Amino acid sequence: MSTARTAGNRSVEASGSGELGPALRVTRIVLITLGLAGLAWGAYVLFDSVKPARIPGIALWMGAAIVLHDGVISPLVFFCGILLRRAGHRISGTVILVVQGAIVVGSVMSLIVVPLLIAQSRGTGNPTVLPLDYGVNFAVFWAAVAVVTAAVSFGLYARGRRRLR
Amino acid sequence: MVQWNMRQVMYEAQRALASPVRNPRMATVIGRLLGLAFVLCFGTGLYSHFLQEPLPGMHFATRPELLYQFTQGTHIIAGIACFPLLLAKLFIVFPDLFQQPPVKSFLNFLERASIALFVGASLVQITIGLLNTYQWYPWPFPFRETHFALGWVLIGSLALHIGIKLPIIARVWRKEADDGSGDDDHLTDAVARDRTATPEAVRLFGSSRPTGVTGRLLAWIDATPDLRADATAERAPSGLDTGSASASRDDTADAEDAARTAHTRLSRRGFLTTVGVSVGTVVVLTTGQTVAPLDAVNAFAPRKKGVGQQGVPVNRTSKQADVAADALAAGWVLTVAHAGVERSFSRSELLAMPQTEVDLPIACVEGWSQLARWRGVRLSDLADLVSADAAASFRLTSLEKKGAYRQTTMGSEYVRDQLTLVALELNGETLDLEHGYPARMIAPGRPGVLQTKWLSRIEAMDV
Repeated sequence: MSTARTAGNRSVEASGSGELGPALRVTRIVLITLGLAGLAWGAYVLFDSVKPARIPGIALWMGAAIVLHDGVISPLVFFCGILLRRAGHRISGTVILVVQGAIVVGSVMSLIVVPLLIAQSRGTGNPTVLPLDYGVNFAVFWAAVAVVTAAVSFGLYARGRRRLR
Repeated sequence: MVQWNMRQVMYEAQRALASPVRNPRMATVIGRLLGLAFVLCFGTGLYSHFLQEPLPGMHFATRPELLYQFTQGTHIIAGIACFPLLLAKLFIVFPDLFQQPPVKSFLNFLERASIALFVGASLVQITIGLLNTYQWYPWPFPFRETHFALGWVLIGSLALHIGIKLPIIARVWRKEADDGSGDDDHLTDAVARDRTATPEAVRLFGSSRPTGVTGRLLAWIDATPDLRADATAERAPSGLDTGSASASRDDTADAEDAARTAHTRLSRRGFLTTVGVSVGTVVVLTTGQTVAPLDAVNAFAPRKKGVGQQGVPVNRTSKQADVAADALAAGWVLTVAHAGVERSFSRSELLAMPQTEVDLPIACVEGWSQLARWRGVRLSDLADLVSADAAASFRLTSLEKKGAYRQTTMGSEYVRDQLTLVALELNGETLDLEHGYPARMIAPGRPGVLQTKWLSRIEAMDV
C-alpha cells in the first residue's frame, strides 16, 4: 500500500532498520528493551502505590491532555498561522516571524502564569506561597512583549525599505 | 468511497500543515533538547525520591551543602523548560497525527499507542508538576505517587521512542556530520517535496498541488498577486533581479528557487529563535526562587526569596500542621532516646548546651530555596549523650498529628555531620513558630520536608 508521506511521517516501516549498521541495531534493541522495561516498571509502581479507584482519573487526565493539545491548542496555532501567513504577503517575512515569535513566547508564558493567577485567587492558606503581585507582573510582561516586538519590527521594516530603494 | 474521502481529508490535513520547520532534522534538534530536559528531570527526581525513601543500605553525600538546592532547582527549571520544548516538538510532528491509513500494521499500531502514552504522560507530568509548585491540586489522584510512577512511564517511553526513531536520528546526525552545518541542510521536507509531485499526490489529485477545501484555503492564503513581486524580492538574497520584465523563464524559476530556499531558512531560524527565546523567558522569569542572582527578575515564581517569617518562606504552616498548642505549651521537652535510655531537654536546657552556628539553605521539593543562618545544638552531641552508635540512623518525630512527614528517618551520614543541628534560632532570632519553634532539624543537602519542624522525639534506631 502506498503511503501519503509528509515530512513528519516516519513510521516503523518507512524508517526500517535495513540501513542501520550493527552498532546502531544493537543500540536500537537495547533502547527498545529498556524502554519497555521502564514502562512495565512504571505501570507496576503506579498500581502498587496508587489506589485502584484513582487510576481512571490518571488515564482521564492523560487522555484529556492529548485532546486538549491536539484538538484545541494545535488548531488554534494553525489558524493563527494562517492569518499571519495571509497578512505575510503585505509585510516583510522577517517581521511576520518576529510577530509570530512574540505571540508564541507570550502564549507559552501565559500557559504557566494563568494557572498561577487562578491558584492565587483561590488562596493557598500560606502567605509565603504565591506572594507576588502576579497580575501586575503579567500585564507588564505583555506590555514589554508588545514594545519589544514593535521596536524590532519597526527596525526590520525600516531596514527593508532602505534596501528596496 | 467513504474511505477514499477520509483518506483525502487526512492527506489534505497533512498538506495544509506542511511547513519548513516540520521536518525530521528539526524533530531531532528539538527532540535532543527535550530528551535532555526529561533525563535531567528524571535523574534529579529519582535522587529526591531516594532521599525521602532510601533503599536499604543507601547513603548520600552531605557535601556540597547546596547539593539538594542544586538538584531540585534543576528539576524544576528543566521541568519549566519542558513547556516550550514539548510544545515545539509536538508542533513539529503534528502532521503525523493524520497518518493515512491510521494504522498500517500491528507494529505501527504499537508505535502510535506508545507515542500517545508518551505525549499524554509528558503533558500530565509537567502540568501537575507545575501546579504542585503552586500548591494547587485540582486532580483526583495523589500527586507524589503519580508523579513518580509517570516519571518511569515517561523515561521508558523516551527510550522506546528513541529506539524506534533511531534510523531517522542516525540519518540526521550523519547528514550533519557530512556537511558540518546544521541550518543549511537539505533534508527532504514538506516545502521541498511540494514542488515535485509525489506518486501518491498524482494518483489522488493528478498533481502535487492540494485541491478541494485545503487547496482553496491555501490559494486564498497565498493569493496576493500584485504584492508577490515585492515579497519575493524582499525574501530573495540581495542581488537577484527578480523584478525585471525581460527575465527569461529560467531566471524566474531560479529566483523562485532562491526565494524559497531563503524563506525556508528564515522560517527555520525564526522557529529555533522562538523556541530559544521562549525557553529563556519562562526560565529567567521563574528561576529567581532558586538562583539568587535572578531574584531581581523573579516575576512568576511561586516563591520569593526573603518573603516569609524571619526572611524564609514556609512550606507547611503551623495552622496546616495543627501544632500551635503543643509547640507553645510550657511543658515542651525534646526527648532523645536510645536502647531504653531516654533523656528529655527543655528549650532552656538545650540553649544551655554548646551552640553551633551554620549557614545552610532550606531547599524545598517544590524547587525554591533560601539560605539562612541557624543556631542550635549539634545532633551528634545529643546522640553522644545517649551513647548512640556512630552508624545508627535516627527516627525523628514531629508534634504534627498527621502528615506524611510527621515521622521520618535520618541516615547516620547526616546525624554525624558537624553541620547538622537541632536548631533553636534562625537568622539571629528565636525560631519562629512557622519555622518549627521550639526546635527543628537542619541538615546539609536534605529536602525541606525532611528538615523536621516542631521536634518532639529523636530516637536512635538499631544498627
